[in-house]
Amino acid sequence: MDILKTLREMIMDIMDVDGQTITAETYLVRELGAESIDLLELSVSINHHFHITVKDDDIFLRNFRLFLVEAERRGEAPSSYLGARFPFLPAERIGEILADLEAGPALKIKDLVSYIAFRSKG
Amino acid sequence: MGVFAHAERWHNGQGETEDMNGSGERPKGLILGGTCELALVLASKLIEKGFFPVLTWRDPEGRGKIDASLANFPGHYETIRFNLGDPLSLETLFAKDFCYNFLVDFAQGDYETLIAAADEDRIRAYFSENVAARAILLKRVARGMLRMKRGRLIYVSSSAAERPAPGQGFYAAAKLAAETLYRSCGLELAGKGVTSVILRAGYVQAGRSRAFLEANPEIIRQVPLQRALEAEEVAETILFLLSPAAVGINATILTLDGGLSAGKTGIMKH
Repeated sequence: MDILKTLREMIMDIMDVDGQTITAETYLVRELGAESIDLLELSVSINHHFHITVKDDDIFLRNFRLFLVEAERRGEAPSSYLGARFPFLPAERIGEILADLEAGPALKIKDLVSYIAFRSKG
Repeated sequence: MGVFAHAERWHNGQGETEDMNGSGERPKGLILGGTCELALVLASKLIEKGFFPVLTWRDPEGRGKIDASLANFPGHYETIRFNLGDPLSLETLFAKDFCYNFLVDFAQGDYETLIAAADEDRIRAYFSENVAARAILLKRVARGMLRMKRGRLIYVSSSAAERPAPGQGFYAAAKLAAETLYRSCGLELAGKGVTSVILRAGYVQAGRSRAFLEANPEIIRQVPLQRALEAEEVAETILFLLSPAAVGINATILTLDGGLSAGKTGIMKH
């Protein structure tokens, strides 16, 4: 099952964007300008199509910064703290996001792919 | 069944009509608190209009009441056990995987007490059941409707929400909270086909109200209409709110109290 292909179609439909420009590296908010309602629609669509329960806070990395602050306050290493809270993300991706946070919302299509793959295994 | 000749065009949230005769499947609606008199009166009307109500009950006695009331319509409705106070029953409800086109919410628990006299465990349980669990149910129903890009959410509230009697504080707080949840859903999702409306009913000749009115006949003199509403009238109003024409009534409160809340209380003479 080609998760990326299906996601691309969903995003084209929900956000009315050109599918050619969407890759695994595309930023959902930063580039495509996704709003809460778009992400909600996407979540519902993923829920239904892939037959997995979607926790919106997790799949869209909503509390990433909050957890980062928590880790710092507790004196814990950010990457392991965040890795525990986002177990579907590869370790190198967490490192990437940490380096990218300053520039804006870091959520990429590949994060959704990771989430779906992770939840589908269960 | 020749009785069901006219399948009404039903609400799809954008004011567009869909004739469901062609699809062969009646639009399903979830009726929460399906054992109350208003819900049962509504259910028969819904069935006659070509809808398929799914009514919730909390105990077998309630289920029996529904089946007795809808005995003329076998196979044209379904019942499901659901209790806002029981999280597991929520999972059972959604295990059915019905696509609900509308939700009419009559469910309400009661905790009559002065606020300063309330039991603290009961306070926690009351809001957990009547606000938090309702929010979770609403989330799930709304997501299903969002997927279908259509839906109507109707919350049956009470004029007591805005004007509680002493002792009704928790009831009113829960009602207002629920009203706001429904309003926000309509605000957030109308662009995607899901709208909402809150119906604040005043005195109705049904259920507990009927007994109260019989015991307190002078109350009706406060109502400009000079009578309580009939259950049929409330049900017909809900049917209208489910119709395509009512789509503009979104994320708002309609008061159905004969004018009671419009004027100064206690003064009906001039």
